[in-house]
Amino acid sequence: MKARTLLLLALAAPGLARAEREPVVAVVGARIVTLSGAPIEAGTLVMRGGLIESVGTQAAPPDARVIEGKGLVLTPGLIDGFGGTGLPAAPPRGAPGAPSPPPTPDPLAPEADALDRLRPADALKARDDGVTTALAIPREGVLPGRSVLLNLSGEQAEGMVWRQPFALHVHMTSLARRYPGSLMGTMAMVRQGLLDGTRYRLEWAAYEKQPAGRKRPRYDASLRAWAEVAAGELPVMVTAQAENDVRRALSLADEFKVRVLVAGAPQAFRVADLVKSRRLPLLVSVNFDPPRAPAGGPFGGSDEEREREEIAEAERNPAELHKAGVAFALVSGHAPRFLAGVQKAIERGLPREAALRAVTLGAAEALGIADRTGSLEKGKMANVVAWSGDPLAKEAKVKMVFVDGQLYEPDERPEREGGTR
Amino acid sequence: MSGLALLAAARVLALTGATVLTGGPAGTIEKGTVLVTDGVITAVGPAVAVPAGATVVDLAGRFVMPGIIDAHSHTAVEGNVNECTDAVTAEVRIADVLDHRDVNIYRQLAGGVTTANVLHGSCNAIGGQNAVVKYRWGQGPEGLVFKEAPRGVKFALGENPKRANVRAPGTARWPATRMGVEALIRDTFLRARHYRDEWAAYERRRKAGAAGLVPPRRDLRLELVRDVLDGTVLVHAHCYRSDEILMLISLAEELGFKIRTFQHVLEGYKVATEIARHGAGASTFSDWWAYKMEAWDAVPHNAAVMASHGVRVSLNSDSNELARRLYWEAAKAVKYGGASEEEALKMITLNPAWQLGVDRWVGSIEAGKHADLAVFNTHPFAPDARVEMTLVEGQVMFDRAKDVQARSAR
Repeated sequence: MKARTLLLLALAAPGLARAEREPVVAVVGARIVTLSGAPIEAGTLVMRGGLIESVGTQAAPPDARVIEGKGLVLTPGLIDGFGGTGLPAAPPRGAPGAPSPPPTPDPLAPEADALDRLRPADALKARDDGVTTALAIPREGVLPGRSVLLNLSGEQAEGMVWRQPFALHVHMTSLARRYPGSLMGTMAMVRQGLLDGTRYRLEWAAYEKQPAGRKRPRYDASLRAWAEVAAGELPVMVTAQAENDVRRALSLADEFKVRVLVAGAPQAFRVADLVKSRRLPLLVSVNFDPPRAPAGGPFGGSDEEREREEIAEAERNPAELHKAGVAFALVSGHAPRFLAGVQKAIERGLPREAALRAVTLGAAEALGIADRTGSLEKGKMANVVAWSGDPLAKEAKVKMVFVDGQLYEPDERPEREGGTR
Repeated sequence: MSGLALLAAARVLALTGATVLTGGPAGTIEKGTVLVTDGVITAVGPAVAVPAGATVVDLAGRFVMPGIIDAHSHTAVEGNVNECTDAVTAEVRIADVLDHRDVNIYRQLAGGVTTANVLHGSCNAIGGQNAVVKYRWGQGPEGLVFKEAPRGVKFALGENPKRANVRAPGTARWPATRMGVEALIRDTFLRARHYRDEWAAYERRRKAGAAGLVPPRRDLRLELVRDVLDGTVLVHAHCYRSDEILMLISLAEELGFKIRTFQHVLEGYKVATEIARHGAGASTFSDWWAYKMEAWDAVPHNAAVMASHGVRVSLNSDSNELARRLYWEAAKAVKYGGASEEEALKMITLNPAWQLGVDRWVGSIEAGKHADLAVFNTHPFAPDARVEMTLVEGQVMFDRAKDVQARSAR
């Protein structure tokens, strides 16, 4: 994986020259919510070469373009640690004049790269909402492939890709009319995949060690993807729906010694102690009422009352986790409106400061990138949002977004619902 | 009976004064005492000395029986209970998808059930691995698992595996006939045998110090079938008709594996001798049939007839609802076919315990066994019988008085 990262850097080399010409920007007079320390009133934030150069109350450096920040609140750029940023969403069925739907991703393709489906123009919508960093993976399927971590600079994929691949994903669900048609099948499939991946690597290693007199093993992209996970080179991100999906993820981690992150997890509060004691990276979805697949099978059935309860529980989930002292990220979970979901969590009792942390530093910690982003500190990536008021408050607007030190000003656009403002 | 919540913490518990239906060699004990230490029965009899410090529960006028064991259940399963997409899915495990919050656990505790065999569905000739569970209500899914129980697997014969061709059009799965079911099971066992040989050969070469060896592929599906051949996995075979029962017996004897139970087995009364000779148990309904063609030729005497031919018979529920009154299902075996009360009691206790391979630990009230107990207001076969209290390993999991109190408090 390291080799791949280097390769990407090499590809991005022409960008380095541009980075040197990047203007130095200083936002002055703003309230700065650093997340790493106490907020700074009327502070100065200086960005240079895509990084944060300083945060404090000092004067702007002479070579900086100065932006008046009076009345603005600066926070770290928001991180959507699990969602569909930049990936084509399936259009509503039969919508008039809708473009032909993108081909549905293979539901069982551990080797598929979300990057191959990336539409950079679609990613920019998230940036307008203050999202500067996002993990993208299709929501469909059981084994949707491998996610890509994006930092949303520029308009091209090359400028956005940060880590590729980031993780192999398992959605704890099942398929219709095709294996795995049950959660049991999904678990079995993951086990078999990890075993097969391990053996695939052994086979190739034995061949490379002594190719003479040995038939070359057959190349298999999917086994190769599993092999990377089995060897601990790539983590697994498990999308949990039920409470016990979290336990299932941990049991796979224990059985195969793989690195596991859990996303979604609308019932995570029920296993708060477990998440805490295992230090499980947890990315809690604010997609509280996703469309559900109808219950299938001769013994299947749906319980509407339990479903309603589960939605209500999901909305309280972040607040309960916070109360229990669990570290977690809030993520869109493919919800079309990330911020609306975060605001719902706040309405249901999550303190706003905790919510802000969960979409910035908390998210960075869960993804293991907090050494580079998630807070406003010297040396970190210059991912910054300027809000018109209290961050995440319903009436607050995202006025400016800096990604890698580059300023983007969101279009003032009407609310998607209601029409008038 | 209030204050029983205190029992949860009691180390030594003495249930005194009840009629104890032990279900074991001691038979029925009038005014008996059951002594429980740390969740295990340490003594049972008419004159058991109660040690100082024991928590004594006076059960005068009540009946105590072993916790009921349901040998065919689909309770507490999350998601689909059937992995219908293939005709052989021995790699999938019910234990992966246990739902400890399923309220049916509690409802069945209110019917005296303490252990259940949670089976994969009957879509597949060789289905998934079952989970034997203890109803430790209030614990996580791992708390449900009956740790001492051997592994088991669901087989299915007849209409269900034939008609479960649910895959996408153009990718029909087989079998579509009873002949096909037989051939598929044979084929799978032959492949499992090959798999075993392949690994044995690898181990031989490895031990001989061969260099550059790559182990054979681990195949979780065949591995389980291999373990059936090795006798470490119990086979629970869904079936109805006598011809398919005979088919599986002869196939098992040809391939060298044992059938632990025939499930449903509505025509078992026709081939009881053959079932007994193979050494299989039979787990059936008391009087539930005619819901499909192959379930047509049934009689309520089935359980008693099979038992009289030496088959270990259990009466099961296959239903969240029926599981709550299995004691009346057992009573029907007395009415139809004339099973003795003791024999009928064993059909929901010791016999299913044997069928699940857990009779060393549960199924009767005997010293050394888990204190899984159901306390009734009267004889459990009486028409006004109801469960007053259910204990799993000495812990009160259901207490009727407390439940009623909680309801009126709402």
